[in-house]
Amino acid sequence: MYEGKSILELHELLVAKKVTPLDLVKDAIEAAKKDDNNAFEYIMESEAIEIASSLGEVEENNPLWGIPFVIKDNMSTKDVPTTGSSNVLNGYIPVFDATVVEKLKAAKAVPIGKSTLDELAMGGTGTSGHLGMTYNPYDKSHTRLVGGSSCGSAAVTAAGIVPFALASDTGDSTRKPASFAGLVGFKPTWGRFSRYGLFPFAPSLDTVGIFTRNVEDCAIVSEVLSGRDERDSTSSTKPVERYFQEMKKPCVSKKIAVIKEIVEAIKDKEVLEAFNKTITGFKARGYIISEVSVSVELLSSLFPTYFVISCAEATSNNANMDGIKFGPLSSGATFEDVVTEARTKGFSELIKRRFVIGSFALMKENQNELFVRAQKNRRRIVETINNILMDNDFIYLPAAPSIAPKLGEASDRLSDEYLIADNHLVLGNFAGLPSITLPIGFEDGMPFGANLMGRAFEETELFKVSYDLEQITGLANVYAEGGTK
Amino acid sequence: MKEYNIEVLKDAAKRLLFDMSESEYETLLSEFDIVTKQMSIIGSNNEIEKYEPMAFPFECTTSYLREDVPEEPLSREEALRNSKRKIGGQIKLPKVVQ
Repeated sequence: MYEGKSILELHELLVAKKVTPLDLVKDAIEAAKKDDNNAFEYIMESEAIEIASSLGEVEENNPLWGIPFVIKDNMSTKDVPTTGSSNVLNGYIPVFDATVVEKLKAAKAVPIGKSTLDELAMGGTGTSGHLGMTYNPYDKSHTRLVGGSSCGSAAVTAAGIVPFALASDTGDSTRKPASFAGLVGFKPTWGRFSRYGLFPFAPSLDTVGIFTRNVEDCAIVSEVLSGRDERDSTSSTKPVERYFQEMKKPCVSKKIAVIKEIVEAIKDKEVLEAFNKTITGFKARGYIISEVSVSVELLSSLFPTYFVISCAEATSNNANMDGIKFGPLSSGATFEDVVTEARTKGFSELIKRRFVIGSFALMKENQNELFVRAQKNRRRIVETINNILMDNDFIYLPAAPSIAPKLGEASDRLSDEYLIADNHLVLGNFAGLPSITLPIGFEDGMPFGANLMGRAFEETELFKVSYDLEQITGLANVYAEGGTK
Repeated sequence: MKEYNIEVLKDAAKRLLFDMSESEYETLLSEFDIVTKQMSIIGSNNEIEKYEPMAFPFECTTSYLREDVPEEPLSREEALRNSKRKIGGQIKLPKVVQ
């Protein structure tokens, strides 16, 4: 009944007392139970009903009051199972809430479930979680993926079950699925949102992310999540701007750069046509578009640099999944037996492969040639991007080379399309920059998006230009009607 | 760079304290072929050596001490809740020293 409504639409209904938080929560839970996209790890029925029943008087100036939302299952939730979609954490029930969850609960939003992900957020397809593949709500035949690793959160938002969901983003895990699912997908500046309670994958790249169906909602949620957290020493002390209040003021930052070689690596004509139309729209609104050049050699090195750094960091960060600190305690005779059994049974093949690659990159004989070299290349990449942003306010690009691929479709992992067009969003993680994907078109009924990246801690300007892009495309609040069969 | 083959990969997995099936090691070996080809893109550029390694996107330091505010610790029940083997209010662990 309330499927597909935005935060602000639901807030209006709540303020007018045409609906109660309990109505919204029951409606969302009913839709969640019908979900056939494999988007949920756990539906928080009793917990959500208890919270929604206890909210008291409506708060007119708090747009998140009574709004249902979903949490990616790699964030700690007190007294609620949290698995990271990995068998190694089956049955784990945290004793605390992640800071972002705590902040949303304090704002009186109501969590209704935990969503599926690629195991421990390592993956980009939404197919490697312990519950199996997560499907794209726009494709009722279940032949297309929704993308990952934040697959479940993308699917529930695209299906209209909730107006927003929490995600995470290490390489593009929020912004790529946003492109495949017709969503606004946002990662903030590194350090803008606390990561306390987020399972670490590669902490030098990780951020919490957000899915919404319009830019206003994204600004509202971002404002609540931003700010220093004493429990996360990497969180920034910079003051938080009023994103929602400011975002409709004219954008003073008007210079947009388009990286020529990334656009040239994209072959899909409809993606390119829609992208070029938005460029025309930006120009009509007074934006200055500059085509800038980055060497194909540097762009081709993005993915391998990411892969080495992220696998190496993941290997060390998941060492605590040992059947003793976390994971199932087995009956092995020795310490090594216990740990080996827990990790052999608990991790899937894909995760083990990543750990071996990370470990190989960190071996004494290889460290300089692989890991340290990747870290040096990271600096070369970041300097290049920051130089572009000295002369320009934003970088604007298609978010992905195509609509959501079909399940099982293999890419040539040495092609420009894969290395450049499919993996360039990692630029935002290397440089720690705020980055947002918005839908810009449809092909065969499937959405695709474009991405804007701004300077560090300049989220307000990024929301302003995103709001303008949303006006250009007219694609606010799209969702897969009947996204759950 | 150290040469990789099935034995090297098995040794790496052993050091990481997990095991894989023979077919999984074969898949991993094929993945290494692709990853090393991708990595050769970075390896082929000598200019990279001029750069300092980058561990984090930017400096983010905390240069003050937080207030020393007393907090309620976890209750014993909460602390033990996720443990499958408990004895006398403590977690039973495997023997480390034989």
